[in-house]
Amino acid sequence: MSYFESRLRVDFEDLDSVYRVLKFCEKLNISNLVLEPLNNSKYFREEIFHEIRENTNINLFFRFNLKPRTVKEFKKEIKFYQKVPHILSLETQVKEIQIQAAKDSRVHVLSFSDPINMKTATPGLISLAKQNDTYIEFSLAPIMRKNRALQSKNFRILYRFIQLILRMKPNFIISGDFDIPYELRHPRNLSSVCHTLLGIPLDQAKNAFSKNVELLLSKIKSRRKNKLIQPGVRLIKGDKKI
Amino acid sequence: MKDERQRYILFKIIMDDASNLNKRVLLNSLWHSIWKYFGMKEANKIGLWLVELNILKSYGIIRCSHTTKEIVISALTMIQEISQQSVILSPIKTSGTLNKIRQYLK
Repeated sequence: MSYFESRLRVDFEDLDSVYRVLKFCEKLNISNLVLEPLNNSKYFREEIFHEIRENTNINLFFRFNLKPRTVKEFKKEIKFYQKVPHILSLETQVKEIQIQAAKDSRVHVLSFSDPINMKTATPGLISLAKQNDTYIEFSLAPIMRKNRALQSKNFRILYRFIQLILRMKPNFIISGDFDIPYELRHPRNLSSVCHTLLGIPLDQAKNAFSKNVELLLSKIKSRRKNKLIQPGVRLIKGDKKI
Repeated sequence: MKDERQRYILFKIIMDDASNLNKRVLLNSLWHSIWKYFGMKEANKIGLWLVELNILKSYGIIRCSHTTKEIVISALTMIQEISQQSVILSPIKTSGTLNKIRQYLK
């Protein structure tokens, strides 16, 4: 089983720092990594992605994270990103945007990485995401805080969020989302933390770091080839499959 | 009653300056992590033993009972600092026999 670190924010304008982080990940034996541009600017160049891919032994994937403040802004941004062949996630506290994104098949992942965002998740939203095959994501970075009071508070918020997820059973992925290299951990070890400290069954925790991410990536890949519109839907012309 | 089986956990040490690290310091921080996150209820089931610590090659081997393997992995993962220095103790291999771990190291 190969594990994925599904969110690592790097500054693509400073390639040296990117390679430094990748070296650190190699030390940790992380074999699959999803990189996200820092500050999520509209800046992305495929040739940089290719260059980074060629200079490392890690399997690299890329993602973009939208942080719109209004529905209008969300619609504008999604238009810009809809043809990007990478993972597209959304992170916001605004309920209307969350609902809109959960319904929109162009958004692959609803991200709840921040404890403040986790508090805004409702059973209705999770159910909507489940119906539309949108993945839910949460991160373990908040529980690695050195401040004890903040750490225990984050544990509680994360625990409540996970209980909601386990009850509603949507597709979900777990990421590290660590900012500092020394906070990085191997996903297999993080699945143990999820099992022992947060009460996620071990097989589900392992799947959230491996199988579910693989499924998400294959879904994006097949959509890129225009083979998949929605599960169970296919394009036909006359009797022939397109 | 069934005999308690054991697990050996091989972990990698990633640290800028590991010169201050020794068996006592490592075990102290590991026990601290176990107590902090799991308390006495789990701590008494672990049967923790530091089999080997190789600072030069940056690895260590820990023995624990098979039922508490995940707890020990979590405790190792949650350690962030030893002697006020950032550290990663990353479990890389688990086995029921020490021989298998030694073979993996070769």
